[in-house]
Amino acid sequence: MNIILSGVGGNGVVLTTRIIAEAALMEGIDVRVGEVHGLAMRGGTVVSHLRLGPDAKGVLIPQRMADMMLSFEPLEAIRQMKFLKRGAKVIINNDPYVGVDAHLGLSRYPDLCRVIEQIQETQDLVDVPATHLALKAGNVVMTNVVMLGTLSASRELPIRREVLLEAIKSRVPPHTIDRNIKAFELGEKAFQEWEQKRACQTGS
Amino acid sequence: MEKKNRILGGAGEKVLLTGNEAIARGCLEAGVVVATAYPGTPATTIMEKLGEVAPELGFHAELSVNEAVAFEVAAGAAMAGVRSLMATKMLGVNLIADPLTVISVTGVRAGLVIVTADDPQQFSSQNAEDTRFFGMLAKVPVLEPMDGQEAKDMARYAFELSEELELPVFLRITPRICHSSFPVEFGEVRRPKRNGKFVRDPKRFVMISTYSRPRQKLLNEKIIRARSIADTNPWNRSFNFQNGMMVDPGKVYNTFGIIASGMTFPYVQEVLEVTKVNAKVLKLATTYPLPENLITEFLREMDQVLIVEENDGVTELLTRALAQRKRLNVRIMGKDEGLIPMSGELNPDIVGDAMEKLFGIKFREDLTEAYLKAEKELVSQRVPALCAGCPHRSSYYSIREALRRKGRGGSIMGDRGCYNQGAYEPLEGIDSCICMGASIAMASGISHSGTNEPVLSVIGDGTFYHSGIPSLLNAVHNRSNIVSLIFDNSITAMTGHQMNPGTGINLMGESTGFANLKKIVQACGVERVQVISAFDTKKLIEAVMEEIDQPGPSVIISRAPCALVVERNIRKRKMEMYRAEVDLEKCIGCKACMKKIGCPAFGWSNEPKPHLEILPHCNGCGLCVETCPFGAISVPGKPDDALGISVKHREVKS
Ligand SMILES: Cc1ncc(C[n+]2csc(CCOP(=O)(O)OP(=O)(O)O)c2C)c(N)n1
Ligand code: SF4
Repeated sequence: MNIILSGVGGNGVVLTTRIIAEAALMEGIDVRVGEVHGLAMRGGTVVSHLRLGPDAKGVLIPQRMADMMLSFEPLEAIRQMKFLKRGAKVIINNDPYVGVDAHLGLSRYPDLCRVIEQIQETQDLVDVPATHLALKAGNVVMTNVVMLGTLSASRELPIRREVLLEAIKSRVPPHTIDRNIKAFELGEKAFQEWEQKRACQTGS
Repeated sequence: MEKKNRILGGAGEKVLLTGNEAIARGCLEAGVVVATAYPGTPATTIMEKLGEVAPELGFHAELSVNEAVAFEVAAGAAMAGVRSLMATKMLGVNLIADPLTVISVTGVRAGLVIVTADDPQQFSSQNAEDTRFFGMLAKVPVLEPMDGQEAKDMARYAFELSEELELPVFLRITPRICHSSFPVEFGEVRRPKRNGKFVRDPKRFVMISTYSRPRQKLLNEKIIRARSIADTNPWNRSFNFQNGMMVDPGKVYNTFGIIASGMTFPYVQEVLEVTKVNAKVLKLATTYPLPENLITEFLREMDQVLIVEENDGVTELLTRALAQRKRLNVRIMGKDEGLIPMSGELNPDIVGDAMEKLFGIKFREDLTEAYLKAEKELVSQRVPALCAGCPHRSSYYSIREALRRKGRGGSIMGDRGCYNQGAYEPLEGIDSCICMGASIAMASGISHSGTNEPVLSVIGDGTFYHSGIPSLLNAVHNRSNIVSLIFDNSITAMTGHQMNPGTGINLMGESTGFANLKKIVQACGVERVQVISAFDTKKLIEAVMEEIDQPGPSVIISRAPCALVVERNIRKRKMEMYRAEVDLEKCIGCKACMKKIGCPAFGWSNEPKPHLEILPHCNGCGLCVETCPFGAISVPGKPDDALGISVKHREVKS
């Protein structure tokens, strides 16, 4: 299985990838992670390639071969879409990061609706207000854990819920474990709500 | 939070490690006694990991002041008979060329391994040079792992090879090894034996020409021996692919071959499995000197061979020469034929494209026209910026403001560090970035060129210690009329906040006292030197304006700690920082603030009217306050004398 994780510096893309990779290893699944860290500063594009099971060969996923994407930022999802198979599931946090460069006209940030529309054209999109849900759980830094909850609920991963939670617990400060579990559950719930919504839409 | 260092652990354990961590572990398994490095992305975390365990395991780990020093420290230890390591990014190898080309002549008494991280994609480097040429230049073997397991095992083996040949050995990696993660199975850790002793042997270590000449001959013999060792190196191996399956290399006969060096092997493997192109593959782990017998045997069976390698076509060059020498009739293809690109890192897609060109077989679906169109419409590169609250922003703003007020133009020769992010609009703080330490001397050159505009230079504290000091001495000695600014955040920030002589602590966790930057500058003979807070824009602007009119060289030390470090410390102590606020009544939406300083904590909102919005990661440094012509920005509650990022309850600060 091939998964792309993307976002901007400060989103926790690298940490989240490690958590899934470690959980996979706990499940006895072979893993490779390819990632690029920028420099010390925040706000730049970050992407990691996570390869599980028989796909765990080289560290880079070839274009059009990823089975799903977890994106912490909408525009970053589009940036990495070339890696996705047609119809692959894309889970995004729908909270855009519009840098000051875009406000200054040094780069462009497209209209959010247009971004969503573009992803939906070829992919199975699940959009989650993860930043918002993390705040609800107590702190924006748990945005990535909300996303992990959604990912887990999507049943795409060959990793059990408890194992993923175990991996999360080993990576977060002990006194924040309860809050993190709450964030995870909010992420799960967001997926269920999305599923219900879709069922209604396709039903009508 | 996981406290245990991931590179510790018993033999047989399988742990998810980055390539850098794997190499650090390999060094523990080799029982390294002296480990040195100068930070440089992507190699930096090797020494960070080793530094975390060195005091406990009883070996010496240091972040040296620059790469040449790091290498010489490691080489000294190896001369004294203990295993030693030096880690660097490839640009640091430029600095070690001088000692390296002589240490290869003297040879070493215990393993000396140089880990060098090349950067073909230039994720974080000023060029894309190929370290293998330094292997050839100094006649030093080069090893290249394909994944984390090999990185660890080859790091350990590199020490053994170094001892067998009594030569330094390069372990060459790339960001895709350094920062990727792989499951790695541990071997036994060897207790470091700190029992070095330097035994005199002038004919070997005093490299005056009379003594050096005979040893040069010996070096040439060694590199020939290194070739035959490469022939038996088990990581140089053939594989056979038939109908997408790996089969016994002895059994099936293919006339199309691929030589895949280092980490390109998994890409080749994946492409052959998917495309089902039949090929024999020689996976190369020794990229200098090449295992000549192995390659000759390989070439003999082939009609056509594709060479897949990153950076320059070194294997291609050497293989062509070998084929010519052995009079082999085989078509060798690679970069020269345009099948493998000359620049940029490789990936499975590129190898797939090569296969399509050769055999017309598709590796994967093409990207659709619709996607390419949408990508073009929607996606543009994000422009990097200095962090919110970065003191460099304030310094640049002040320099530009001073030059503007002077109205005489002027050039600002830059150096290498976080302050490079100030090169972009709107700050446009530097006019050059060449290599670490270049700023002051290049400014000197411009000042002697006859220009009548002011000439300034900008360098960070870390880079000043690394290679700025000789240039400043030179500027004094040769009377360059320049104004040199030293941006002193007392840390080497860009590579992830490593300590330097101005930080007060070293990698072993020992307190070292602080290098006195001002005194160093004065000791170089600079008479006009002042230290100003980087957030005291008024003083900084005045100082720059004043120094431009004085005969140089003069130095302005613009000092304030790195914002990320301050933030981290404040958060750790559970204290709060101030934050800027916008007065909606006063903000007219002109974006003057953005156009002046482009802080990443600036957001924008059109509700109820277009206005500046301050994002949550503002840390109240306050620089933006003076950029607004209408006084719309303030940092509520912050006392006037609190410069830069400050904690809210000052009494706790002490
Ligand atoms: C020869 C060489 N070694 C290492 C590097 C990697 N590198 C880039 S900037 C930098 C240090 C910057 O430190 P400093 O000058 O203190 O500036 P700061 O980032 O703290 O602002 C390093 C080590 C390099 N580019 N070239
Ligand atoms: S890491 Fe520190 S020095 Fe680098 S841009 Fe951020 S605040 Fe400035």
